[in-house]
Amino acid sequence: MTSTFDRLCAILAKDYKLESSQLTLDAPLESLGIDSLGVADLLFNLEDEFGIVLPPEPVQLVTLGDVAGFLDGLLAAKLSLAQAGNEAAAASLPVAPSSLSSSSLPTPQL
Amino acid sequence: MKRVAITGIGVVSPLGHSAAEVFEAARAGRSGIARLDAPFAHRLAAPLAATVQFDGADHFDPPKLRMLDRVSQFALVAAGRAVADAGQALAGVPPHRAGVFVGTGMGGSLSMDEGYQTLYGEQSDRIKPFMVLTGMHNAPAAWIGMAHGLSGPNLTYSTACSSSAVAIGEAWLRVARGDVDVALAGGAEAPLSFGSLKAWEALKTLATPDERDPSASCKPFAKNRSGMVLGEGAAMLVLESWESAVQRGAAIHGELLGCGLFTDTGHITRPSVEGQAAALQAALASAGIDADEVDAINAHGTGTPANDGVESAAIRAVFGARAARIPISATKALHGHLLGATSALECVLSLMAMKHSVALPTMHLHEADVQCDLDYVPNTAREGVALRTMLSSSFAFGGTNAVLAFRVAE
Repeated sequence: MTSTFDRLCAILAKDYKLESSQLTLDAPLESLGIDSLGVADLLFNLEDEFGIVLPPEPVQLVTLGDVAGFLDGLLAAKLSLAQAGNEAAAASLPVAPSSLSSSSLPTPQL
Repeated sequence: MKRVAITGIGVVSPLGHSAAEVFEAARAGRSGIARLDAPFAHRLAAPLAATVQFDGADHFDPPKLRMLDRVSQFALVAAGRAVADAGQALAGVPPHRAGVFVGTGMGGSLSMDEGYQTLYGEQSDRIKPFMVLTGMHNAPAAWIGMAHGLSGPNLTYSTACSSSAVAIGEAWLRVARGDVDVALAGGAEAPLSFGSLKAWEALKTLATPDERDPSASCKPFAKNRSGMVLGEGAAMLVLESWESAVQRGAAIHGELLGCGLFTDTGHITRPSVEGQAAALQAALASAGIDADEVDAINAHGTGTPANDGVESAAIRAVFGARAARIPISATKALHGHLLGATSALECVLSLMAMKHSVALPTMHLHEADVQCDLDYVPNTAREGVALRTMLSSSFAFGGTNAVLAFRVAE
């Protein structure tokens, strides 16, 4: 089975045209051209790719490994929710606009 | 007031990617207008546009590209070309003494259109995180300032079809007054979204496709003109004082003599002879020149029924009997109407026309409208015409009429 990290790398290779040699667990996102604002955009896409919903709390992700770990946590939570017989809830967690526009994003300067 | 030199030109346009390319296309009468190849083209009454051969991926890394609307991509590439063309214009200039002045009519309208398609078309509640950044009107200017480390005034002008004439005029003023040492000034526009095209279509301003040759659909000053064709692109200029340009041995493309503004307050779209004539007079006054000194005019010349007759009358009102002897070029027949970028592109064409002593042709003009009785240089460039001083006119919806005055480098 493909690991979360492998899937993440495949997305970065396709959408960000990054070389596989650049894609290591300890690679800082900044070094890949993805700054704090870029992380928000990346996570937005990963929600679709992995069928997950970001939590409203802000999260600090520095390396690719951090992102993979963060995704694993969300995927595990989704799985345990499903195993608890709550598939419907797991499949259709609403995406509250506020969770995207405010708390899960770095606060922009207005 | 200081004399102001234009020492850098950068272009991204339907006619080419340098001043030389756009000039040669205009001189030869090669049109950048064609049938629009887009998934929504069949839903347009007149699927025409002047598009740019341009792939942002050739210019920007993917993470950066995701933050740039096409209008900002155009602006950044044109600005980069202008700075490169200007040589060492920015060397030794304190960052706060260099400003950015950009005109755009519709800003990041493609990004906004895409976002609204998500919301209303796909009924999704998830909007991409960057829609504000890509959509905002001041993004092109902001990115230029960041790319070149220019910390002086960073200003965006949105006065519809005169946006970049206003931007260049304001930049001229700052350099002439000594407020800044260098200015990057021009315009950028990427308006070819389905939503924008339908909006212009609804306003009944767009040209009907020419049955025999779609590239000839925009026919300024012609009896059978039916409207304008929207185009995309950007053009940027580097402005500095004449003194600094000479001191550093820069190649000077021409002198910006001044900018005249006069605002029509009678109607939101309808042009007036008085308003356009007043803007032409204001340009002469700003430049400190007499009407007799004007050797040629790059007309607003949209090819709309409303503009071209009024513009001809305004030129006649200002120049009197001499009006019929002034070569008048309407280059929108070839590059289309780039809205907020059009004045900047027409500046470039005016500078090149003066440099090469060529009066550029107004194409697709086989029978002039009875109201259009001046010398429009129909269909063929006129070579060997000494052009020392030119005006370039831009008249806008909203009424902000702006006319720039140039002189050949001498």
